[in-house]
Amino acid sequence: MKVDELISGPVHTISPEKSVFHAAELMDGQGTDTLVVVDHGVVAGILTSRDVRSSHPNRIVADAMTPDPVTVSPDIFIWDALKIMDRHRIGRLLIQDGNTLAGVVTREAVRIKLSELMDPLTGLYREPYIRAIGEALLEKEQPFHLLFVDLNDFREVNKRYGHPFGNDVILAFARRLAKWAKETRDFLYRYGGDEFVMISTAEEETVDRFIRTISRPLDINRVTVSAAVGHVNGLKEPRFFSMPFREMLAKASLLSTCAKADGEEESGNAGVFSPV
Amino acid sequence: MSDRNLYSRKATLDLKISEFEVPPMLDLLIIGRKAPIGPEAARRMAEALSPEQFTLLRMDHPKIEAVLVRNSVLRMLEHDLLTNIISEEAENLLLETMVLRAELKVTVSVRREVNLR
Repeated sequence: MKVDELISGPVHTISPEKSVFHAAELMDGQGTDTLVVVDHGVVAGILTSRDVRSSHPNRIVADAMTPDPVTVSPDIFIWDALKIMDRHRIGRLLIQDGNTLAGVVTREAVRIKLSELMDPLTGLYREPYIRAIGEALLEKEQPFHLLFVDLNDFREVNKRYGHPFGNDVILAFARRLAKWAKETRDFLYRYGGDEFVMISTAEEETVDRFIRTISRPLDINRVTVSAAVGHVNGLKEPRFFSMPFREMLAKASLLSTCAKADGEEESGNAGVFSPV
Repeated sequence: MSDRNLYSRKATLDLKISEFEVPPMLDLLIIGRKAPIGPEAARRMAEALSPEQFTLLRMDHPKIEAVLVRNSVLRMLEHDLLTNIISEEAENLLLETMVLRAELKVTVSVRREVNLR
């Protein structure tokens, strides 16, 4: 999930006073479409095959390159790499490991990798995404809330209205979850059929409010659905940072089952279950 | 054999000598977006031949990528004023593949009214 997994091949460099014609020959010879422009040992820019095509071959590389390339560390997540590229409106990132230039990562490579991690129905990420986020937060000993959200009686929806309608409900429910989630503090993914997982670094009160909202019956596409939420609270769980993420996920999942059972007993609707 | 002896081949040389201007440009160099010489190459050339005498101004213009200007000109005129004039005047003259050089003369007319003794 880290950006260094997407580095392809060695870094090819060129000096800024070389001609664009020379750069094109170098690209052909090395079978690459990106050259890193290095001026007296300092990275000055990136020259792509597109830059070469749009520049006069007599120009020097300094006049064809994209100056001041954005450099990132090899251990950033690939979704963060895409955000950085979007923010700077660029197609390539230089990966720098300390003082060493480790490689170049392209937007295309990041997109392909991310599409493998994405659920095609909801557009949410899948399990490896949340595992990577959770393990990284645990490593940094940063507490978070892990929420396992499970739709109640979803099998009945599929049975009664058919699977295409069930997919519509899943999609609408996912949109509601995503609408609530904030990019800077919440990480949401689709775990399975009607199950979603969220990692949130929001305040406890905010998370509680979310759980109450999402546990109440919702009218989606003229069908009333409700969800059971299993909540592992990083601020209260005694051995939170010593627990493997997988175990934490299993715990949240079991808590959602308990919440479902309790809710059905009480009111016919499933509720929330938090162990502490 | 005899033909070879008659055959002669001569060349005529014309040699014109004039003073080399340093740098070989005037006050302004207007660089088109697809010109064979780019702004950085022009700046480096001017810097090598006449250090610290020229400034590169990047332009936000569909045809003109940059203008290399003699510093003495910039001491008299504001950057924006100069680039606006260049944009307007070079618009119809310049192809984006061209580099134009231009001479800029500034004539100052002064008229003062003074009191006589």
